[in-house]
Amino acid sequence: MDFSEPRTWLWSAAILYLVTFLSGVIQARRGLAYPAFLLLALLAVGYFLQTRGLYLRGLSTHACPLGNGMERIQFIAWSFVLTYLIIRLIFKLQLLGLFTSGLAAVLSFISLFSKGFDPHYWNEPGYQKLFQNPWIELHASVAIFSYGVFALLTVVSAMYLVQHSALSAKKSSAFTNFLPSISQLEMAADKLLLTGVLFLTSSILVGSIHWFQDLNNVSFPKLFVTIAVWLLYLGLWLLHLTHRIFARKFAIACLWAFFLAMVSMSTVSGKKETEATFPQSLENQRL
Amino acid sequence: MSEALQSLFVLGLSHHKAPLAVRESFALKNGDLPKALRNLQSINGLLESMVLSTCNRLEVYGFAKDRDSMTRVGRHFCEANHFDPVLFEKHAYIHTNLSTLQHFVGVTAGLDSQMVGETDILNQVKSAYDLARTAGSTGPVLNRLFERGFHAAKKARTSTGISKGNVSVGNVCVDLAERIFGKLSRSRVLLIGSGEVAELAAQALLSRGAADITVTSRSQDNALALASNFGGAVLGYSDFLSHLSKFDIVISSTASKEIILNRECISGNLSSRRGRPLFLIDLAVPRDVAPEVDSLYNVFVYNLDDIARIANENLEHRRQEIEQAKLILDRQSWSIWLDVRRRCLIKSIAST
Repeated sequence: MDFSEPRTWLWSAAILYLVTFLSGVIQARRGLAYPAFLLLALLAVGYFLQTRGLYLRGLSTHACPLGNGMERIQFIAWSFVLTYLIIRLIFKLQLLGLFTSGLAAVLSFISLFSKGFDPHYWNEPGYQKLFQNPWIELHASVAIFSYGVFALLTVVSAMYLVQHSALSAKKSSAFTNFLPSISQLEMAADKLLLTGVLFLTSSILVGSIHWFQDLNNVSFPKLFVTIAVWLLYLGLWLLHLTHRIFARKFAIACLWAFFLAMVSMSTVSGKKETEATFPQSLENQRL
Repeated sequence: MSEALQSLFVLGLSHHKAPLAVRESFALKNGDLPKALRNLQSINGLLESMVLSTCNRLEVYGFAKDRDSMTRVGRHFCEANHFDPVLFEKHAYIHTNLSTLQHFVGVTAGLDSQMVGETDILNQVKSAYDLARTAGSTGPVLNRLFERGFHAAKKARTSTGISKGNVSVGNVCVDLAERIFGKLSRSRVLLIGSGEVAELAAQALLSRGAADITVTSRSQDNALALASNFGGAVLGYSDFLSHLSKFDIVISSTASKEIILNRECISGNLSSRRGRPLFLIDLAVPRDVAPEVDSLYNVFVYNLDDIARIANENLEHRRQEIEQAKLILDRQSWSIWLDVRRRCLIKSIAST
């Protein structure tokens, strides 16, 4: 094992997340609670391994590693676990950590399985850092963090659907008895949705400073998809607020929204020829 | 001293061998226990003792000087408490030494209970032990065995699923309600009819935090009597349909031969619930809630069969965990037993 290689660390984190998830599921199915400190410790270790992997990659790219599909998905998984670690005390939802480790494992494995997903773009001739403007870097990291919140929303929605389908099928098991109630999950989903929308809005506001200064620097598909994702989540929140969509349909809509957001990721992160460079107007001022 | 440990015993009868009619004639009230303990203390050669009396068992745990003292206990205990010694002997069992300890941890963990894995027994054993210790009936041997026995029982409970999943109709209803609403303190409960099963379900909801219970019944007197039990309100039977949207949990158990809650009346109330789910528990036979209601969005309907099936599944799950729990308890019993024997040996060597 080459510990100077970022992928080694990322693989280790993925395996740890998977082990945490599987052992927790086995334990919960037996009707036994997973010790909270152990779950937290395992997730924290996984998070450390992932951070280390992304840090090493950052050293290679000399920038925030968001340049290819693997990095972007890893970064979302990383920020999603971070979101969980921060907000776990607010929601206090049983099994949320377990489901978090599950989705973190899924995202990590998806990103790592294909090497073609991880081209070494920084070795190419004429490589330019993705972000040379700190405002854009702030915009990207806040946007990624909002995706992390949306990923957690997806987890909560999945938990809702598991509990809801067990209740509808009139099934009771040790696992469903451990799951939080559907009312708690829907309330948590609502708060996460609002949090995500606020972060994404902030990110768009920060990004728009850059865009307005140099409109040519922003590709139309990127702008379109960014606004579409923002409108999708904002619309979902408004529909839920006005009780036009709730319960199972709301949970399913949250899952679809995240799926669409993930699919659109390549467009959102796509770099226009001149985008990575400093806006011309600012460049002139700097000179 | 090592010889003295040969005289650790438990003598008693339980639901396994003694039918209810027999157990009734050997019932000791809580107020009788101090006197029973004093009588046991007066037996020559009985060093330590404890009496456990529940609705399903009456047991005397003792640590005697020798085997003779041990055999005297049963007779003396029956005489002192006016029990029929012949009937007692017919239904009684006795375990000695390690078997005593294994029996104790099995009882404490709920493995020996009528309802496997029930948790009340642990508190009952602890109360009996506290009483005996306060009365000075227990000493270093029983204190050590019991206190470590409690830990062993707790370990068996927490490491296996013997206490998981409720097995009574009332508690299954509460579990389901908690899976829908979480904490029940903010959920409003409506009881339609005054059936006994529904009353038990409402009691279970009350014991787990439901604070707002309203009763409606064709008989106003029954509704008032039931509502006063729960400190709840009464709603006129002719009005309850128009107030249905205000309730989160509706328990119905009327004697009506016709459907009380049909699809139209439920769906008409859903729009004003602002997305909150509705939980209908139909404990009536024939049913009070029309089967089509189950297909309504965000409405959960459980009838008596559904609840009984869940209770049976939980019971089956507990049974599957018994072997695992027994294994843990046997291991723990051996460890406690060896420890106590070692201590007794050291003491006896030190005293010679």
